[in-house]
Amino acid sequence: MRKKHLALTEKKWFQILFWAVLVIAAWEIGATAVAMTKRTPENILPHLYQILAAAFSGKAVSGGMTASGVVLTSAGATLLRALGGFAIGAGLGFLLALAMKLSGLVEKLIFPYLMLIQLIPVLGLAPIILAITGDINRSRLVIAAILSFYPVAANTLAGFKAVSKDKYDLMFTYAAKKRQLYTKVLIPSAIPYLFTGLKIAAPMAITASILVDTLQGDGGLGCMLSQSLKHAMSIYVFWLIVFFSAFIGIFSTYLISWIEILVYPEKRSAAGIGRSAGKEKKYGRSTEKNRTQKEPGPETL
Amino acid sequence: MNAAEYTRNDVPDEIVIRDLGVTFQDNKGEDVQAITGVNLNIKKGEFVSLLGPSGCGKTTLLRCVADLQEPTDGDIHVEGMTPKEVRLQHKFGFVFQSPVLFDWRTVKKNVELPLEMMYQTKQQRSERADEMLEMVGLTNFANHFPNQLSGGMQQRVNIARALGIRPDILLMDEPFSALDEFTKEKLHEDLLRIWRKTNKTILFVTHNIQEAVFLSDRVCVLSPHPGRLSAVVDIDLPRPRTLDMKETPAFNQLVLKVRNSFEGGSFS
Amino acid sequence: MDAAQRKIGRRKSLARRLSEDKKVQAAAAVVLPVLLGILIFGLWQGGVLQTIFRTDSFTLPAPTRIASLFRDNFGKVVTNARDTVTVALAGLIIGSLLGYGAAILASFFPNMGKGGLSIVGAFASIPVVALAPVMNNWTRDVSTEASSRSMVAKILVVMLIAAADMGLNAYRGLTELKPYAKDLMATYAAPRRMVFLKLQLPNSVPYIFTALKVSVPASIMTAIVSEYFAEYITGVGRQIRENIVLAQYATAWVYITAACIIGLLAYVILMIVQAAVMKRYHF
Repeated sequence: MRKKHLALTEKKWFQILFWAVLVIAAWEIGATAVAMTKRTPENILPHLYQILAAAFSGKAVSGGMTASGVVLTSAGATLLRALGGFAIGAGLGFLLALAMKLSGLVEKLIFPYLMLIQLIPVLGLAPIILAITGDINRSRLVIAAILSFYPVAANTLAGFKAVSKDKYDLMFTYAAKKRQLYTKVLIPSAIPYLFTGLKIAAPMAITASILVDTLQGDGGLGCMLSQSLKHAMSIYVFWLIVFFSAFIGIFSTYLISWIEILVYPEKRSAAGIGRSAGKEKKYGRSTEKNRTQKEPGPETL
Repeated sequence: MNAAEYTRNDVPDEIVIRDLGVTFQDNKGEDVQAITGVNLNIKKGEFVSLLGPSGCGKTTLLRCVADLQEPTDGDIHVEGMTPKEVRLQHKFGFVFQSPVLFDWRTVKKNVELPLEMMYQTKQQRSERADEMLEMVGLTNFANHFPNQLSGGMQQRVNIARALGIRPDILLMDEPFSALDEFTKEKLHEDLLRIWRKTNKTILFVTHNIQEAVFLSDRVCVLSPHPGRLSAVVDIDLPRPRTLDMKETPAFNQLVLKVRNSFEGGSFS
Repeated sequence: MDAAQRKIGRRKSLARRLSEDKKVQAAAAVVLPVLLGILIFGLWQGGVLQTIFRTDSFTLPAPTRIASLFRDNFGKVVTNARDTVTVALAGLIIGSLLGYGAAILASFFPNMGKGGLSIVGAFASIPVVALAPVMNNWTRDVSTEASSRSMVAKILVVMLIAAADMGLNAYRGLTELKPYAKDLMATYAAPRRMVFLKLQLPNSVPYIFTALKVSVPASIMTAIVSEYFAEYITGVGRQIRENIVLAQYATAWVYITAACIIGLLAYVILMIVQAAVMKRYHF
């Protein structure tokens, strides 16, 4: 009996179920308590079924759109810009890392500033960037790009630097050209690091885009969030946006993990996929450790 | 001297090392002599081991032959050319101590890597890789990824990859030192079989006396501080060599002879 | 090729020798970025930067103007900076302690604990923009003073972010031990408490700093962003926003400068603490 119990806690689906039930139970107990003590419980902690009902209700909350309609249309504007900024920032980050690897001069010039970006509260710059660009869409792009830039550049550079001396020696004995060294060794080696950077960057780009929305009343998730808080529309829109933004924040990280598995064939064979949200692997701590661990492979010798 | 040695005397020298010295600078900027005054001739098709404790410069010597390290004194000629010229012609196969396999390439694609550097066609590469994997007995693992293989199998891929470019010379840097004894013996036999079949010149670095004696035609003993060639012992055991030879008095005497040729009579 | 020729061949060019000299390299690593920084400041002061960004010196004032405004408003800047730092620091400390505690609990029940930490991680993935208003609503009744209940709400947001970072990293530090280390402790018949104190705790120290390196800048950023949504108007971040709304861009830049200084100082302090602690543990 004890054995059976142990086996159950090792099952992944059971762990997920257990915690999901626990969180839902805690939420509902909280909601019930709030409902009994507060005047406007839906502002503090509505019941989950109330939020679900709001999501599926056909009642128009704003401009003839249902609550879900409002969330999804405004999410479109926000996420497209986040994606654009993310792509630009990640692309530039990768190119900069490559340039820093190719040229010691570029590395010396830029590296201290790259570290500096990480320490500056970039989101705090959002209002001024909106003022400089003068356009909400462009400032969404710019801020998402700046935030995506640092983790991608730093992690990719770390990936280039983690290539062992043996590999350089091996390519040297093959009389490999510089271009071949990059295309066949350095860039493929850096790809897992690039993805670590992307996993950190994606939720940041989304947060940035939502934040910029709140600065100007031009639509987008953040704007709807502010309006619904000010009771310009149903408060349940607010709760839907909280859940939706949490979902896309987490989902973006998993999405990138899945893309990584598609791109990087070695990942498909080694089952070590879907390591939790990537939060624990940041710049500086390499992913190499996870990858070089020998999988228990077939023994014929 | 057995029959093989006599015939080999007619063979020209493949590698000629003259007065070779390498001086490094340590972290304090002081000069450290890694090796000094090494003279050695290696004949075509010969299996020569460089044997010594760590710090004797045996790997440095091997890296000089491979053009991975520039000598500060003396020179090396391989087939009458400088190591650089030989390297650029893809005549070296280098087997590192660690397998240095690329995680994102399958076993077969790893073997194909150096052939890509030589601009061979896809079909040529594929055929050659299949041939090499068959030779090391890994045909069934062609589409596996390196991390699915045991250490011994990874090292076989490494050897297959080095031989794939049809090198004249195989340079091996302690290739089996990380493997267990059983795997090592199996790979010893495999290596000798492949050597007989392909007739490569092999320069083999090791710190294991039994291994050096069992595999080689000649064992070059190096001593540290500074690294220098202190003795060369001819191994006149008959070929092909088999594992049971390790039990013979002749083998043990050679091991003893090599051991005693270290300066001071031991590893110290 | 004779020996003399080869010797000449080995002589390196001046440029190559310079690029290999360690002292020259170290000096270049400092001098080059400083030169770049001076160049950027020059362009900024000279109005070229404003042209590049297609803006004017009203929106992006020259550094000297920002500096003089910084001096004039020093007292106000310090007051707001103090509020931001208080929130960031309180949230960071409480959150890190809670996160570490959660990691210890999770390390005792690794199967279930790991899932629990993922939940915390999931909560921390909720954008600050959504978290901050929730916390504002939850803290309505904490105090009758708007300033204190705002402070609590902001601290709660920072706390959650810091707790998630610390929890996930510390869990790794407590569980990813050297091979056989636990077996060795077992051969000593070490009680659970000793295994924790002598093995797991020291092992987790570098991981604590890994977490802090992420959560210190994140705490400051979170504190600043939650100020945007706070009921009570204070803090460096809120001042950036308020001044921009009033079109006082130069004053906004003063607070941006303050935010950058806070970020830099916090990281420098973290580095010093890390160096001191790591030295003690001989990592």
